[in-house]
Amino acid sequence: MDKVVQSSEQAKAPSIEKSHETPEGWEPNILAFACHYCAFAAADLAGVMRLSYSPNVKIIRLPCTGKLDQIYVLRAFEKGIDGVFVAG
Amino acid sequence: MITGEQKPFEEIWNMVKDFKKVLVFGCNTCVAICHAGGSKEAEILASLLRMRAAQEGAAIEINHAAVERHCEPEFFQPGMDNVRTYDLILSTACGVGVNLLSEHIGDIPVFPAINTEFFGAVPRSGEFTELCAGCGNCILHLTGGICPIARCSKSLLNGPCGGTNNGSCEVSPDIKCAWVQIYDRLKQLNRLDLMNEIVDAKDWSKAQGPRNFKVKLLEEIKK
Repeated sequence: MDKVVQSSEQAKAPSIEKSHETPEGWEPNILAFACHYCAFAAADLAGVMRLSYSPNVKIIRLPCTGKLDQIYVLRAFEKGIDGVFVAG
Repeated sequence: MITGEQKPFEEIWNMVKDFKKVLVFGCNTCVAICHAGGSKEAEILASLLRMRAAQEGAAIEINHAAVERHCEPEFFQPGMDNVRTYDLILSTACGVGVNLLSEHIGDIPVFPAINTEFFGAVPRSGEFTELCAGCGNCILHLTGGICPIARCSKSLLNGPCGGTNNGSCEVSPDIKCAWVQIYDRLKQLNRLDLMNEIVDAKDWSKAQGPRNFKVKLLEEIKK
């Protein structure tokens, strides 16, 4: 019965993402879109305070996160980014 | 304007997965306004299809382009040499655009990426409503500018029916009874006498396709 329920749920929302094994030591590439006026300023402040963060996070400054277009996120994923972080 | 909604992604993927070079071809007029098939949506759809193809291991080249209108050949003809380099054109235009492009493109298939729905008004951004059914024989002068063909669930010409319920339609409380709206509007216009006019049985031949017409003056000039 559980299997039936599971398969009908899967039929409703098929997963596009295929499961695969994560290689050992793998680190995700994260792209952060940050608003110039708040989140980017916070990242700047973190830099001034000599706080460190993981080098696999790359920050792109936007004039405002309202400028973030869907296609920016999709292009990031197409080019191999594993996660997008939007802060603003 | 013509309204439409993008088809489910799986349906679109199943259309394109067996082709090698696909152009997602947008139309920047009506379907762009309903966020279904303009240049932006064509670009997003192309991106999603490329990612799906990568996940499935399918070698498909997928690009996007858009023109201002698909319903007039002069808008897409200038770029047809490029368009004809593809195996499949996935059009995000309305059904009119898909038909017309199919006629002009030669031996390349044109598939629809959106479901064309109706021609409607945009009362608020992102909201679309059917106000006219294009039946070919307008009676809006008798009904206070409210079309009973498009807005009454039964398309009654001499309504309302027994299903009117406190201003709503029996079909759904979300549908306003067109004939109550017509009554209120005629009252406002001081033309309630029009409610007593009996509209004859409609000539539906003008509402059925295939329909076409030519502007007579232009025809005469051409002669």
